[in-house]
Amino acid sequence: MKHPSALISALLDGELNAIESAQLHGHLASCGRCSAELQDVQRVRAAIRSLPVLDLPPDLMFEGEPNVVPFRRRRYLIASAAAVVAVIVTVATLFAPEPPPSTSYDDLARSLGAVVSRDPAFGPGKVLPVWGDGGVQQ
Amino acid sequence: MESIPLTWEEVARVHGRKIYNFAYRLTGNPYDAHDLVQEVLLRVRKGLAEYQPGSFEGWLWRITRNAFLDEVRRRNRRPTTPLPDEVDRWDLASTEPVDVEYARITLGDDIQKALLELPFEFREAVVLCDIVGLSYEEIAQAAAVPIGTVRSRIHRGRKMLRGILE
Repeated sequence: MKHPSALISALLDGELNAIESAQLHGHLASCGRCSAELQDVQRVRAAIRSLPVLDLPPDLMFEGEPNVVPFRRRRYLIASAAAVVAVIVTVATLFAPEPPPSTSYDDLARSLGAVVSRDPAFGPGKVLPVWGDGGVQQ
Repeated sequence: MESIPLTWEEVARVHGRKIYNFAYRLTGNPYDAHDLVQEVLLRVRKGLAEYQPGSFEGWLWRITRNAFLDEVRRRNRRPTTPLPDEVDRWDLASTEPVDVEYARITLGDDIQKALLELPFEFREAVVLCDIVGLSYEEIAQAAAVPIGTVRSRIHRGRKMLRGILE
């Protein structure tokens, strides 16, 4: 019998029929190489099977309607929404209409080149015209 | 005759943990495993209406492997920079405290790393057999290969692992 390597794992997994199993056992009894391979594979198989069984993350436990948008896509959606909002705010700021002209008396006076005195002696909001080099004449 | 879950919510409840463990062992991290489970369940929901009675396990795991392979292909087309901090990724994927999750994951760290070094066909066969507990027949249906190929892949996969772990 040739070395039936691929059957060794099948034997360990209970995947051989009675005839195959008997033949392989007969071979193993007289073949040190295959016996050693059986032991090696048995150890590896046991190690893999000893890996801890992980719990399902809580947000993947389905009791009702699930989260149908995959996790990564949800994050992309949030990031995309934030980017869209940022763009809208930027565009709105850039293209916002000029504010309407102020109707305040002080602003109007300043636009005409006057300064507004805050000196109580002149009363609130008295206008002092500005002349030439910026000197103030009362 | 095999009874199958009637709704995809039942599939999620009955098989969700197994799918997650398969996904984790295949991808090597809970973040990708999380995404893969959701993708699989979406496909199950779409596919259940057209499910033909047969091997439900084979059907389910075929969907799972296809979802995984599609993701691998998608990443190969559009390579992305992995997130730099593994711990943060675990934190994103689970509401459990990071140290608890970390301790659980690192318990079989060497074996997990060795699994990730296997070519996909061998990793898949070994994980479906030793982690999920499928029969060779079910693995053959999932992978759409003859049972002799499954025998060979499982044995060669284990021998490769032995070589990596030595």
